Amino acid sequence: MSMDKPPPPLMALIGGPQGAGLETSAQVLTVAYATLGYRVLASREYHSNIIGRHSYILLGVDPARVPRGHRYPVDVASFMDAESVFTHYKDVDRGSIVFYDSDVDNVSLERIVSMETETKRRLRRELEELGVEPTVVGVTKYMKSMGVEVVGFSYRGLLSSLRREYGIGYAEARRYISMVVAASVAKLTGLSLEELEEGLRYRFRSRPALVERNMAVARRVYSHLGNVAQIALPEPQEPPDHYMVMTGNEAVAIGKAVAGVGLQAYYPITPAQDESFYMEAHEDQTGIVVFQAEDELAAIAVATGAALTGARAATATSGPGFDLMIEGVGWACINEAPVAVTLYQRGGPSTGLPTRGSQEDLLDAAFAGHGECPRIVVASWSHEEALTDAVEAQNLAEEYQIPVIHLLDKFLANSVATLPPPMTTSFQIRRGSIEPRPGSDYRRFALPGPVSPRAFIGDAVMWYTGDEHDEYGHITEEPETRIAMVKKRFAKLDEAARNIPEEGVRLHLYPEDADPSGLDMLIHSWGTAARVTAEAVDMLRRRGLRAALVRVHYFSPYPSRLLSSIAAEAHQAGARLVNVEHNYTAQAAKIAAMKSGVVFDTHVLKYTGRPIYIDELVEALMAIHEKGLKEVHLGHGA
Amino acid sequence: MEHDPRRYRTPLWVDWCPGCGNYGILQAVTETLAELGLPPEKTAIVSGIGCSGKTPHYVYANGVHTLHGRAIPYATGIKLARPELTVIVEGGDGDLLGIGAGHFVALGRRNIDLTVILHNNQVYGLTKGQASPTLPYGVKTKSLPKPNIQDMINPLALAIASGYTFVARSYALDIKHLKSVLKEAIRHRGAAFIDVLQPCVTYNNVYTVHFYRKALYRIEDEEPDWDPIVRSPDEETEKKAAALARAQEWGRRIPLGIFYVNKTRSPFEHRIAARNPLYAEHPPANRLSREPQQQPPYTIEEVMSIFKDRLVKVKTRNARRSGIPSSRDRSPEES
Repeated sequence: MSMDKPPPPLMALIGGPQGAGLETSAQVLTVAYATLGYRVLASREYHSNIIGRHSYILLGVDPARVPRGHRYPVDVASFMDAESVFTHYKDVDRGSIVFYDSDVDNVSLERIVSMETETKRRLRRELEELGVEPTVVGVTKYMKSMGVEVVGFSYRGLLSSLRREYGIGYAEARRYISMVVAASVAKLTGLSLEELEEGLRYRFRSRPALVERNMAVARRVYSHLGNVAQIALPEPQEPPDHYMVMTGNEAVAIGKAVAGVGLQAYYPITPAQDESFYMEAHEDQTGIVVFQAEDELAAIAVATGAALTGARAATATSGPGFDLMIEGVGWACINEAPVAVTLYQRGGPSTGLPTRGSQEDLLDAAFAGHGECPRIVVASWSHEEALTDAVEAQNLAEEYQIPVIHLLDKFLANSVATLPPPMTTSFQIRRGSIEPRPGSDYRRFALPGPVSPRAFIGDAVMWYTGDEHDEYGHITEEPETRIAMVKKRFAKLDEAARNIPEEGVRLHLYPEDADPSGLDMLIHSWGTAARVTAEAVDMLRRRGLRAALVRVHYFSPYPSRLLSSIAAEAHQAGARLVNVEHNYTAQAAKIAAMKSGVVFDTHVLKYTGRPIYIDELVEALMAIHEKGLKEVHLGHGA
Repeated sequence: MEHDPRRYRTPLWVDWCPGCGNYGILQAVTETLAELGLPPEKTAIVSGIGCSGKTPHYVYANGVHTLHGRAIPYATGIKLARPELTVIVEGGDGDLLGIGAGHFVALGRRNIDLTVILHNNQVYGLTKGQASPTLPYGVKTKSLPKPNIQDMINPLALAIASGYTFVARSYALDIKHLKSVLKEAIRHRGAAFIDVLQPCVTYNNVYTVHFYRKALYRIEDEEPDWDPIVRSPDEETEKKAAALARAQEWGRRIPLGIFYVNKTRSPFEHRIAARNPLYAEHPPANRLSREPQQQPPYTIEEVMSIFKDRLVKVKTRNARRSGIPSSRDRSPEES
């Protein structure tokens, strides 16, 4: 394997206990880089815990575009505590720089109470095999022996001087450790103190005293690191005037506001809740009613009820909540009610890995529910697309009068990216067929359809029922009407398929100009896995392997024709058909086989709840290419 | 014409069993809508599943026949999105107090301006007579293989404890009484609940018309000074206690009437308006116009202003040095 380093040019990792301010560190850094014009992707890995368990944030910084994923080894790692040193000692390599608390040198692995027993056992075994003493100092020596530059700093010394200087208690002083971490990464990547301060001023907008104290901490760290070599970052290319620095949750929230959503109903669940929370924080400016329901059964019902009155309505949840919503999705289906469900996938089944990501809910989103229920299913792969798809989900729901499932995952939900502000002029609100003057004989489900002109409760009289119904919405079990109504509902998907192009909308080929008949490898993927795959494709091509990505964006209506023609061409030319997904059962490949007859029989799968990293994916694809492996399961990431 | 109750009936054949208490409720509802002069297009009847679930189809007003247990949340969405509407929930005892009990309690917490009519016949009629949450322990109605081994919920006590601000009981066959209570409930601004006792002629041979004729009495007949209305917050505890005490009575004597009214609690719609200044003028249903094609509600500048907490102004190093705010207008070679 050649030694080209995958992008982004800078990867930083910061680690520490949950609740110790790691997110503050990441936000300060992200904004500092963004202010300089850099593109950043920062993602957080955390346990289902509020305080004490290990969490870490990966920051990718790129001068030209938002990183499409993260990679190991990282260039800079800064640790708050001993547990981070043990957890991430293998995430760095020759040329990396590690910053840590030299006061924990003598802490042994056994003393880390917050670490899971299994993790401890694994690390003990690993260190034993390497012949490394299971203490922080042992591990740092090992890293040095591998060519890593390791810089210790006495956190205790800093804390006691802070306590003296500001007359604050230990607990309050500890909060400044998040600044130690941020400042170390900033300094080691060449940010000046003034540049770092931009991030702090953003974070502590209304509290200049906090900015000042944190800057004092930063100065201490900077002077300590005075002589350590820095990692050089190329100058940013053509940055916009502004970035919006947002998580996937926030991108969807902003998309919903732009789409004119009037009501969002939700029940708190990770990793969906921050979307609704963010919407609620801006309720007074947007006017959107954010309603916290008593459960997800109610959340979808409240949203659907609102939709019947002419409001654009939405809900957001993750797998367990979506399960509870399914009966409501069915009701929306049979009642042709436009309701959009944002579904953030996490690891299952049951509570599974509640704070980790997955692509395990595709089949659930596409097929769940009793009876036969047409729906539109859209899966976003980036923050930018999460926003535009949130707008489009509302348009499609109203145009076709059908439930829309907008699929995302925890990786998107909780990661932060720098985006240009959304060009709202490029969006359009499409409400579909609306009856301008509904009379007293208004028929909500007028045949033949598939889309009957819609009137709203409050403007006319109409009936809705979960039973099969006639044109007025009254219950019927008449076979002829049943046939007409079932066909009417399914014809929506045919019409959507006619109107929404396959090429470049429902299906994306990457690179766009790739010639399927000239490929060594055609890789099928979707969502965030596809985004990492696009990066891997670039790397494979640099290595001379003719690879291309075919990404499914709409799982319903499915891009059957285009996918089968691309796959057939590639297959005929002798290309290997590979599938990359964040699950164990290759769900998207199953849908491809079912809906387009294309069999992707070689798989790269990951189901640890951690994202697919660019380096491990490239390695897996190379192994498939060189050794003809049929299935590779990835596992990197603490 | 507007006040003719026949205008509030659809031409559908009503398929409840002959003698069903639902007929009384249906008649009371349509007559009340007529007498209050509520426009059908501004009125919505929302039901769950079961015999009572069919009620909306028989009323000429918006009818929303929802899922088992979920009538309250659908009604909530309709009311919050379009607060000008009059929204009435009709659900059975299994629907509202069994599968939908969580929603029933949650409505009380919120005090949304809905009227909830409980069709209380103590059995699951449409599945042939299983015990519902309001059937007392030890009672064996005719289709039960064995006596009921679950205790009954007291709907009035549950409503009062949950925070409903209008709580009453009536009887399906006393249409005059039911209408008068229903009118008060609809006029009340907040969550109103009416427990309507209703014989099931087919499956409930214990709580029959004959039984109710003997057991029912009106609170005012026994206590002429009965005043259930809380007019200031300091009366709340006392009035609630009196209502709860009265609500305990069940068996040989069963009270009818208005048990509890609290006018001091703000309806949910006011609570939303208090923190969402656009709500009163632009409730969710009016946020967009009825035009099939329109521009998004915000310009890019507005998005940047509303979400300014996520906005970062770029100041590149070159710009810092030269005083130019951004490198956007320069060519890549220069930057």
